[in-house]
Amino acid sequence: MNRIVLRRLAQVIPLVLAVIVLNFVLIHLAPGSLFDVMTAEQQISDPAMLDQLRHTYGVDQPTWVQLAKYIWSVMRLDLGFSYRQNAPVLNVIMDQLPATVILMLAATSVALLVGVTAGVLASVRVNTIWDNLISLAAVFFFAAPSFWLGIMMTVLFAVKLGWFPVGGMRTIGAGNGAFADALDVMHHLVLPATALGLFYAATYARVMRASMLEVFRLDFVRTARAKGLSPSRVVVAHVMRNALLPIVTLLGLQLGTILGGSVVIEAVFSWPGIGSLLFDSVMSRNFPMVLGVLVLGSLLVAVANATVDLLYLRLDPRIRAR
Amino acid sequence: MLRLGIDFVRRFARNRAALIGLLLVIVVIGVALAAPWLFPRNPLRIVGRPEIWPFVNSRYPLGTDSLGRDIAAMIAYGARTTLLIGLCASVTATLIGITVGATAAYFGGWVDEMLMRFTELFQTVPNLIFVLTIVSILGQKIEYVTIAVGIVTWTPIARLTRAEFMALRDREFVQACRAMGMGNLRIMLGEILPNALPPVIVLSSLVIAGAVLFESAVSFLGLGDPNVSSWGRLIGDGRTLIRTSWYICAVPGLAIMVTVLALNLVGDGLNDALNPKLRDR
Repeated sequence: MNRIVLRRLAQVIPLVLAVIVLNFVLIHLAPGSLFDVMTAEQQISDPAMLDQLRHTYGVDQPTWVQLAKYIWSVMRLDLGFSYRQNAPVLNVIMDQLPATVILMLAATSVALLVGVTAGVLASVRVNTIWDNLISLAAVFFFAAPSFWLGIMMTVLFAVKLGWFPVGGMRTIGAGNGAFADALDVMHHLVLPATALGLFYAATYARVMRASMLEVFRLDFVRTARAKGLSPSRVVVAHVMRNALLPIVTLLGLQLGTILGGSVVIEAVFSWPGIGSLLFDSVMSRNFPMVLGVLVLGSLLVAVANATVDLLYLRLDPRIRAR
Repeated sequence: MLRLGIDFVRRFARNRAALIGLLLVIVVIGVALAAPWLFPRNPLRIVGRPEIWPFVNSRYPLGTDSLGRDIAAMIAYGARTTLLIGLCASVTATLIGITVGATAAYFGGWVDEMLMRFTELFQTVPNLIFVLTIVSILGQKIEYVTIAVGIVTWTPIARLTRAEFMALRDREFVQACRAMGMGNLRIMLGEILPNALPPVIVLSSLVIAGAVLFESAVSFLGLGDPNVSSWGRLIGDGRTLIRTSWYICAVPGLAIMVTVLALNLVGDGLNDALNPKLRDR
């Protein structure tokens, strides 16, 4: 078991290396190098000074030396220096990352909870009005852009009804105490997590319904019924557990999209995560920051994918045997 | 061939949802084509008082935005942008996907291994972040947005093409072609590809819907082409006014939703009609 875990984690390394190389290529594709942007912002025009700076930043060296140096520095978790925040890129990203991870986890939970429940309900009551209603809702939420859903939910629940705050993560100047703070964050989290999660809930509901119907036809379900288990126990303990496998696969494949989606949702709800940071950096052409977010985002997805694969092993012992 | 075609149309028409979707897609295409004729002047021109609600003034049936631009005109021209980007991005993704998937499966071995790792790389990079990075580096032009969206959506097409090619590459007719001394490229493009194409086409029709959503997110964030009318941009512009005039966001959002919904329904319908085996499940 330990060997499988190690082997799966080892596969992450070449991927991250490739992302770093991709990054480097992108930097060099950019019209006007980072060096030009930097010197322009500092208004340096003296040729001797420029030459010296070129030497200091290593821009005068051949491309492959720069690539090797870049890989080496990223390996040491040195993603460069953000002249805009006047702090190392890694520190700025690490400050903002927890908020994004909270949002992603909350959205994934909403998606799983709503999607799996709807899928199970639709499959148990197949071809009834419930099934049709759930399928219809899934089709609609699958087509609605999450940011638009977020804005519409803000209009209804925050502006008209006033149930939830319009944006942000914490109430400014709210009372202290860890518990009150957690409650406050959760209150702010409801709308963004729902807006982001409903799109994925739609996918999960469709997949869950199909995979439940598939499992219902299998022999062991008939056996379970024949030995006198109650219908609800058959559904929960036998069918659902087996039907969940495709959902886990899907979850692993979609983590990258959820991270991307949270960028947009953060912009809608002014959530202080790496999405807002990325957006600001893209606008100000702060490339070290943009590429830092890309590298760390990819690393996050790669590690999460490996985790999902290992989770798969736990859920389905048959895979381990192979 | 003709009988096959008729058979296909009949199977497609049996699916009512797909027919509704097709109808909606035709309406959107019609609006996009008729835009210069319905609204002869520049849609980004200021025409009247700002923030007129829909159905109030008959000259502006969908109202005006915060600057006093006609929302109906912007929606009509936005349909052009949306469809164009969706279609071109899907074609880009399909071309990349078929090239990678076909080469990987046909040659196998280390080529396959390398190309599949390459595909995995693009699956790992968070797609929207990648699109934003490309657009920020190359610049805010409609071509670059299209290319960027194509670059992040080709991976499923590559995987599907690879699977189809795998199943076909050792069949007898391919071996016969090899024995006749046909070149690799000719076998791949002329012999295997036509047989592998139907499921790939279904998937690329679904990619159009995804590309529309990507484009709307990019322009919503204000990173689309500023000189082109776009649904996502309209939502982004209207966002500051949701307390007073939320319809500015609602109308283009509905347009996006209806378009994506219709494209998805058509894609599902094509899937059912082209893969009759899956249909009866």
